[in-house]
Parts: sequence; C-alpha cells; structure tokens
Amino acid sequence: MSRANLDAAFAAKKHHLSPFLVLGDPTPDISFELAKKAIELGATMLEVGIAYGDPSADGPAIQRANLRAIAAKATTPVALGVMKRIHEAFPALPMNLLVYGNLVHARGFEAFVQDALDVGASSLLVPDILFEEGEQLREVCKRLGLGHAELAGPLTDAKRLKRLASTIDAYLYLVAFQGVTGARTGGSDAIGELVKRTADRIEVPVCVGFGLSSAEHVASVYDAGARVAVVGSHLANAIEAGINAGPLGKGKHVVAAFEKAFAPLAETVNRYA
Amino acid sequence: MSHESSLMPRKGAFGAYGGRYVSELLVPALDELEEARKTIVRSSSFKREFRETLREWAGRPTALTYAANFSKRCNMQVYLKREDLLHGGAHKTNNVVGQGILAKRMGKTRIIAETGAGQHGVATAMVGARLGFETVVYMGARDVERQAPNVKRMQLCGATVIPVTTGSQTLKDAINEALRDWTANLGNTHYLLGTVCGPDPFPRLVRDFHRVIGKEAKQQWADRVGGLPRAVVACVGGGSNAIGIFRAFLKDHDVDLVGVEPGGRGLESGEHGATLQKGTPGLLHGARTSVLQDEFGQILEPHSVAAGLDYPGVGPEHAHLRDIGRARYVSVTDDEAIEAFETLARTEGIIPAFESAHALAYAMKAVALGDYEPGTRILINCSGRGDKDLDTYRKLYGHRIGGAAQAKGTES
Ligand SMILES: Cc1ncc(COP(=O)(O)O)c(C=O)c1O
Repeated sequence: MSRANLDAAFAAKKHHLSPFLVLGDPTPDISFELAKKAIELGATMLEVGIAYGDPSADGPAIQRANLRAIAAKATTPVALGVMKRIHEAFPALPMNLLVYGNLVHARGFEAFVQDALDVGASSLLVPDILFEEGEQLREVCKRLGLGHAELAGPLTDAKRLKRLASTIDAYLYLVAFQGVTGARTGGSDAIGELVKRTADRIEVPVCVGFGLSSAEHVASVYDAGARVAVVGSHLANAIEAGINAGPLGKGKHVVAAFEKAFAPLAETVNRYA
Repeated sequence: MSHESSLMPRKGAFGAYGGRYVSELLVPALDELEEARKTIVRSSSFKREFRETLREWAGRPTALTYAANFSKRCNMQVYLKREDLLHGGAHKTNNVVGQGILAKRMGKTRIIAETGAGQHGVATAMVGARLGFETVVYMGARDVERQAPNVKRMQLCGATVIPVTTGSQTLKDAINEALRDWTANLGNTHYLLGTVCGPDPFPRLVRDFHRVIGKEAKQQWADRVGGLPRAVVACVGGGSNAIGIFRAFLKDHDVDLVGVEPGGRGLESGEHGATLQKGTPGLLHGARTSVLQDEFGQILEPHSVAAGLDYPGVGPEHAHLRDIGRARYVSVTDDEAIEAFETLARTEGIIPAFESAHALAYAMKAVALGDYEPGTRILINCSGRGDKDLDTYRKLYGHRIGGAAQAKGTES
C-alpha cells in the first residue's frame, strides 16, 4: 500500500523537498510532465491538489492555478487519473493529497479515500475540515489505510498542537505564515523560530509550507527541524510565467520555467541529503 | 453523487448543518468571537448600547403596515414589517450595529465585509464611520459594475471597496476574499459577515442581532391585529431577514414559516438560486449546508435578478428548519418578483427591494396555489427598499415604467 511509501521515505532520508502541484495545471498532460521534472531534479515527495473553484485558504497564485486546471477540465476523476500516471511511473514516490472538503464530501468519505488509495496516494490533508469536525474522516482514513495529516499555524498553541499531533499518522503540515498561500520574500528568521518551536513539541514529522520561495527559506526550515519543505506558490508563479512565455503546446516553456524556479531549491535539498 | 450523508457537524450545529469547515488558521479568530458572543453580547451594557443605537441611529422600531390595496391583489390580508424604513434601507443594519459594537468592545480597529448587492457593504461602511473603524469591503468585480451607486455610498462613508477579480467575481468570491483577509489580519480585524452563513458562531451571532425584527412584529401584531398571523413570509438569500422574523414565531406551531427563494428563470432552467429546493448537502464558506453544486462538489453559479439573493449556499439553520418541517421553502421567478415590485409601488406607494419583492410575489400567488384561503392574514417581511434597484429596473424593464399594468397586458 502507498501509505508505506511515506514511512519508507521518512526512514530513508531526513529532509524532503515536495513541490505542490494542482493536478491538471495547466493541462493534465503537462502537469504529469511537471511531476516528472520535479522528481528528476530531486523532489522526493509530491503534494498534489485537486482543483477547486473556491479555494478560500489560497492566495492569488494558487487560486489561478486552480482556475487553470478547472479550465483544462481537470475534474476529480481526471485529477486522480494524473495521480495514477505518476504513481505508475514512480511507484515508490509518496504522494500527499491536499483537497478541499467539499470535493471529498460530494464523493462521500469512504469512496473518496478508496479512490485516493487506488491511485497511489499516501496521505490526505483536507485544509477546511477543521480538526473538531474531522473525526469521521479520520476514522475512514485509518480504517482503509490512508495516512492522515493536519494543518497547524503560527497561532496554534502548544495544547492544541499536541491534540492535533496525537491523531496524525502522516505529518503535521505547518503553515509558516499567518495568512493564505503565496510566495514571500525574506522572513526566514521568524519561520525558523516557529518551525523549531513546533518540531520540539511533537513527535510526528513536520512539513512546512506556505510562502517558501528560495533556497534560503528551504535551508532555514530544515535547520529548524522540518523534515519536509513544500513549495507551491513559487512554482505556480513559474508555471504562469511559462504559459505567458509562448504557445502552450506540449508544455516546453512551462516545464522550462518550472525547472528554472525549482532547480535552485532542489540543489539545497540535495546538499542536505 | 454520494454526499457524505453521515457527516454531523460538531461546532454550533443545527441538526446535520452548520459546524466549522475552515482552515486551522482561523481557529483563534473564531474562538475569540465565540468567547465574545458568550460574554460581551450577553452583558447588559452591550444590550443597552445595541438597543439605543438601533433606536436613535437606525430608527427602530420599524412600522407594521397594513397594505390594504396590495391585500386586494393578493386576496389576503397582508401586513408588512417595514425593514425598508430602517437606516440604510434594509434589515442589514441590525446585524452591522450588533457586530460593530461587538468588534469595538473586542478592541478591533478594522472591519472587513463582503457584499453582493452592496446593501451589507453600505450598512458596514455606515457603522464603520459611526464607530471609527478602518473599513474594507470586498465586492465581486461584476457586482461593483452592477451596483455602482452603492459603491459610491460606501466610499462616501469612508470605506475602501476592493473589487474581487477571482473566480466568478460575485458574492461567493467576495466571501472567499474576506476570509483570506481575515486569516492574515485577525489580530486587529473583525470580519463582519452579512448573513446567517459562515462558520460557527456566525449563524447564531447574526441571527440573534436580527431577532428584533420578529420580536417587534409579534408585539405589534398582538397590539393591532390580535392573535397571530397565519403565515410569516420572507425572502431567503443567506437567510438573515427570514431567520430574524421567523425566530419569534418558531414555537407557535399554528404559524407557517415560509421562505421564498429566488427562482430566477425557473427552477427547471438551472438559472436560479433556490438552494433549499434544488441544492444538496455540501460545505461552503465554513458551514455544512444546502449548496448548489455539481456532481464533483464544485460550487455552481446561481442566478437571480436580486443580487442579494444571488448566492449558492444558505444559512445552515434554514436547512435544518426545512428538514424538520418547521419552515417551508418556495420560489418565485424573476418575472414574478418584478411584477410584485411594481404592484407594491403602484398600490401602496412603497418601492420594495427586488429581494423583498420575492416574498411579496409569493403572497400574490399563494391563494391561487391553494396554499391559503382567501382573506388569510399574513405577515411579510419587507426586508428593504428598492432605491438601489432602480438602475437595474430601468435597464431591464424600463419600457414598463409609466404603464406597467398596460404594458403587461399587451405582453401576455
Ligand atoms: C433588502 C434585502 N433583503 C434580503 C437580502 C438577502 O439576505 P438575507 O437572506 O440574509 O436576508 C438582502 C441581501 O443583500 C437585501 O439587501
């Protein structure tokens, strides 16, 4: 089962770099190519999202990524199809699925979790089903064998953090900034302190995302104790730049722009490995 | 589609609806607000300031009007609760006064709001001016265009209006954007949500600020008419004016509670906002409720001539009242609403909001539908006045001005 991919990855290697890709952005085929490129450059995990029209926890870059995927008709089954292709090409790769609650709810928890397992997902994070409301979904994940992750933020207090962590069997996704997703410049000191405080308090692996856009950011979260650095908006911006650079075609410009944005970050993690 | 039928919300649930379906990052803000609801809102000094502001600034109590001529058209006895007379021109002011005073007492310096038609935005801007807040209103770029006069009113009161250009550029996107702003600025900012939707505690908080509508109306009815109305009728967008007037009659089981949803171009056309009649359970803007969505859970774009009813979700308490059979939800089309809008103006000299005209339009057909005997006494919430709608009316139906009745005659 793909759940084991995550455990194996954490056992094999301390630091992981995980791009966040909206499945189907800018098209299902090109998004498969982007996953391939990311892995080739050194990504050892993948965060993947299913496009949603109302992504209220995301900033402009990822909102636009969602809308591009929707325009490319990347519905839930199409998105899962892209995951399946990635899984078949890279059967040992942990894929963590980030998906808004209504898409899971519309399918039904049990059916959705089974679908996710069938295409090789290792874990599920639903950013808008709050911990207090998540018991039923957690139960289904546990029963069917899909890893389950929770979000925490800069204002999540120690007591709550422990409570969240006590149910997690994948990782804690720590949001590095109080706000929505979006590439930030500067600010690594504050992130570092937050990551350290969080990682010191809990046993489960800490994955950090929201706003990481440079090799320096990635290094600073590793130094502070994070196991996974997730890069999302920075790459969504690159995809957009690639789209604007010329005709979409098979995605030559998009893949090139993606590589240019991701390679320096990948070099960092390769140094850490 | 197999909606997660077993999901039971925990926080602030109304049966199978409500809850807190938001990101972890909003927890501190929601916890703080819930705490303030329990302490500040229940304090006598808050209640006094709320009551006094409603009376001296907003013009409560509002009248209960017997609409004698309109009654003839309906073949019923129709009484109107005149929220159109409230400062700002709609019931929305009750809620913004309540939340405004609350935010002040919570020590917030900045308020943000979403708006569709602009009514809630205007009300928020007014209260922001009175209480000295920095005020930011998010409004879909398409609505900014459709409701230009209200944008001017907000700006005149010192608010910043931010057009939202993402998604469908309407109300639902404005709410998304306000949630994003709140997440990033929750320290100094209160999100002044405009209806009984959203994550717990908003549905209860907003409802309680609107209860005054039903409380007054019930007393006025007892004093003037005696007994109770046979039915209480209100339009339902998010559902705040309806809950506000329903609540006082909830335990009076001989009183029908009727919510009127926007039928747009007809329930079968797919172009409507009849969330409670055509929606399915879903998670939207922080609550589990009845939602217009496709088979995969993508939110659909609703349609109504009334911008304030143009919303793909509805307050969770309404979904619950529907399920337990305590309230009944019906719909009227755009055309029926416009006819009621014209009829009330011509027979009573009252220009209702397009939204409120939906409730009136139901009254015009209730006897014909066989829902009520001729002569039945009903109470309608006239939730707002129609000044804001005149531009739209002129654009869409302008040919009918100066001879609505005749023009209709030749059309049909
Ligand atoms: C006059 C009026 N009535 C009704 C509504 C619909 O809102 P609700 O259903 O929350 O009362 C609006 C919303 O803008 C409004 O302006």
